[in-house]
Amino acid sequence: MNCPRLKDWFEERYDLRGIRLLAREKLVPEHRYDLWYYTGGITLFLFILQFLTGMLMALYYVPHVKFAYESIIEIVTKLNMGWFFRSLHHWGAQLAIVFLFIHLFGTLLLKSYRKPREMVWVTGFILLGISIFFGLSGYLLLWDERAFAAVRVATGGAGAFPVIGGFIKAFLRGSIDVTGDTLLRFYAFHVAILPIVTLALIGLHILLVQFHGMSVPLSLEGEKRRDIPFFPNVFLKDLMIWLVVLGAVVTLAVLLPPEIGVQADPLAPPPENIKPEWYFLFMLETLKLFPGTILGFNGETIAILCVTAGILFFFLIPFLDRKSSRGEKSPLFTWIGVIYIVYFLVMTAMGFLS
Amino acid sequence: MQALGAFEKIIRLSLRRLAGPVVTALFTLAYAVPCLAAEPVAVFPGVPYDGYIVYESLAVFWIVLVALIVVIRMKLREIERTQQLGAAEEDPNAPLLP
Amino acid sequence: MKLKYSLITRRTFLNTLLFGWAAAFFSGTFYALMKFAFPTLGKEPDFVVLDKKAFKGLPQNSVKPFPWGGTVGLYLKKADGKVLALKGVCTHMECNVAYKPEERKFYCACHQGWFDENGVNIAGPPPKPLEVFEISEEGDKLIIARKGVKVELPKA
Repeated sequence: MNCPRLKDWFEERYDLRGIRLLAREKLVPEHRYDLWYYTGGITLFLFILQFLTGMLMALYYVPHVKFAYESIIEIVTKLNMGWFFRSLHHWGAQLAIVFLFIHLFGTLLLKSYRKPREMVWVTGFILLGISIFFGLSGYLLLWDERAFAAVRVATGGAGAFPVIGGFIKAFLRGSIDVTGDTLLRFYAFHVAILPIVTLALIGLHILLVQFHGMSVPLSLEGEKRRDIPFFPNVFLKDLMIWLVVLGAVVTLAVLLPPEIGVQADPLAPPPENIKPEWYFLFMLETLKLFPGTILGFNGETIAILCVTAGILFFFLIPFLDRKSSRGEKSPLFTWIGVIYIVYFLVMTAMGFLS
Repeated sequence: MQALGAFEKIIRLSLRRLAGPVVTALFTLAYAVPCLAAEPVAVFPGVPYDGYIVYESLAVFWIVLVALIVVIRMKLREIERTQQLGAAEEDPNAPLLP
Repeated sequence: MKLKYSLITRRTFLNTLLFGWAAAFFSGTFYALMKFAFPTLGKEPDFVVLDKKAFKGLPQNSVKPFPWGGTVGLYLKKADGKVLALKGVCTHMECNVAYKPEERKFYCACHQGWFDENGVNIAGPPPKPLEVFEISEEGDKLIIARKGVKVELPKA
């Protein structure tokens, strides 16, 4: 499409040389592990999908404790293809978290976090926490008994934090127990607060990646490589992969629409065998490992502290891994990464089986 | 371009066909909702005819998607071919046709 | 017949194929999105069925509102005893009108429009009279219908 007049109109007003230079010169390394480069883009695509389907859901969802459940039933039964878009939103969320973890563990094992890319890891880690909270807040909006029980456990667990636990619990719940105030608060987070923060952080994360370029694994650093230009080669490859992922999400959404359970009743006991969403299972299983009291201290508090210590260590890996910052092989941290991954997988599997 | 126009029409037609029956099926489901209050709400259309429409449109969706991916791959192959020839850059001094 | 030179370049062919097909794909997606975002908008009803008892014995020169789809209709019992049903929505910018019994006129407060007791616009910006409905009775039901609409009650 040649529109020289349109191009001239723009160029008389805006100096696009910097962008054009980036577009022409952005190169992506080509090597044995370059498939991992696509995981971040897939996660981004799934988040964009969530934003779009989320906006559609927000047109009809009512965040009031009396009408939330009914509004979802209305979306799913009365509107044109409502069930499909809700199902798409559900499966998009599941796959987004899956690819988020793949992206996370990929960067961990390939040591993309090493100097100079520590801030990319930091922004990414915050995004991980935000995404988990997206999942939790979105899940409550259904207001069925499973979501209700899950949020009760999650906010109650947060309350076990020493010193600040009470504040966190009160802030998240909006009152003593999980009530309509909690629903409204989680809605505000899910629809307004988290999206703005996510946009800002994703923007920063991607900007930093443009600045640093794509990281090359340590073992391949010295080799001579043929790098491919991003526009249009890798862009088109990205597009193809995104379309395949879209096909996968649509297929899952059509063939396996999520059910709608019974409406939440704050006075009723939780249903049998209640379990949180799968990405929380590893934490639940970890908490189960700890006995009620340890040396006279509250077992749950100790458990939360241990989990927090583990997560904090994970967060600080780029700053603790001195060897890879210097550009040397760091097998210790490779093993630590493997241990984290195996622990996560095993605990999640145990959560499913128990 | 005419071939594409026909394809576009076919896709739009089948989606339009989809909308009416699906909406009817979902309306009937909506009246069943109060009776199912104690059980989980059925989401997928119960009527087999409408179920088949959903599967059929999924198949159409996949065919269109795969065709799009194939075309993108064709474009990518061509770009790689011209890049290897060294002919991929646009000559900024090339004159526009009058 | 074999052509010596191709009619279009390889690049034009590929670009057309790519962008055309992508446009078709995304317009299909967009269509589905729009179907969801624009639900079947509430149409105005052709007639409404009311309880006759609620509208009997109204004081003269008074008005009783009734629901007309998503908007309001007004059931007027005039000073001379005759009844009139009309849509209580101003024909100017769709504000609700009020009945002023002292003047026996309908008044629209938004832009100071006036209608007489038959709904005819007499002063202010309203361009057309208020829409008047036909009143009929069937058993214990009062039926208010748009002019010219054949009322068929469902066999409940």
